[in-house]
Amino acid sequence: MSRKASGLKAWAIQRLTAIYVGLFALYLLLVLLFAAPADYADWKAWVGGPVVSVAMLLFVVSVLMHAWIGVRDVLIDYVHPIAIRAALLGVIALALVAMGLWAAQALILVRLT
Amino acid sequence: MKFLVSRYNPDSDAAPYMQEFEVEVPRGMMLRDALLDIKRQDESFSFRHSCGEGVCGSDGVNVNGTNKLACITPVSELKEPIEVRPFPGRPIIRDLVVDMTQFYQQYKAVKPWVVRNDPMPEQEILQSPQERDKLDGLYECILCGCCSTSCPSFWWNPEKFHGPQALLTAWRFLADTRDQATDERLDALEGPYKLFRCHTIMNCVEVCPKGLNPTKAIGHIKALMLKNSV
Repeated sequence: MSRKASGLKAWAIQRLTAIYVGLFALYLLLVLLFAAPADYADWKAWVGGPVVSVAMLLFVVSVLMHAWIGVRDVLIDYVHPIAIRAALLGVIALALVAMGLWAAQALILVRLT
Repeated sequence: MKFLVSRYNPDSDAAPYMQEFEVEVPRGMMLRDALLDIKRQDESFSFRHSCGEGVCGSDGVNVNGTNKLACITPVSELKEPIEVRPFPGRPIIRDLVVDMTQFYQQYKAVKPWVVRNDPMPEQEILQSPQERDKLDGLYECILCGCCSTSCPSFWWNPEKFHGPQALLTAWRFLADTRDQATDERLDALEGPYKLFRCHTIMNCVEVCPKGLNPTKAIGHIKALMLKNSV
């Protein structure tokens, strides 16, 4: 992220992702409460649907972006030594990317098999 | 009534400590009067004050954990023992007197004056009553510092984050129809620090002795920034 992008853009993305995460979490809750998949095959059919799988992937990406901006804010507030902050940011960025790839892998495998 | 006031003399004390005073409280006594009484008991006790009626903004202190102007705070409203400390997060010069340099630097950084690019007109620059109304709730700030020194984001980054006072002032000039530096002002506020360290904690709104709302002003700045960038 460039210096220019790190103020307004981060703030706007945080709000935008919050709205999508909130709406999708509500949808997820309603599905699990009233139309929960009965077994693995059922779940696979639901999550493998073209709309749900893309929406789910977007949800995962939104959660990760939201988390990145939030954690970055906390580190900018409290961790002032630049080397420690950079190291923490690096570890967290890698962890978030790993989580995203893992979720994408699962969602793609469900579609393929 | 029992008062506990923070004492610190950098020449002789390693750290600030609380000292107890007993003050007789007549009806209608303001905290500033009580502090003056304490000064009569111990003339080495130091605090800032001037007008005594909430206009100059000199006697901001932390009372029972909240920043207030001593001169307009009735002692009867406070819970005993009344603990008076200097503003949190500021370097202490002596007793209740703190160094506000960074606070003023942040104020200066937002260019607190009307910027005109057009040549100045012969007469004053007129505003409609509606345009003038936009400045209400913004121009009344007396720079007492209660808000910025109660803001955790300002505690952690006082050299980089403008703080609620300076951001309220930034919006005061962005909202002024006579000002012509909107883009320059918004560009200057970009980046993660100056404006965006605000996490809407709203301590500033709670403590402002003039009843102003810096959080709302900050929201207006963010909205204008967003509007001008899409």
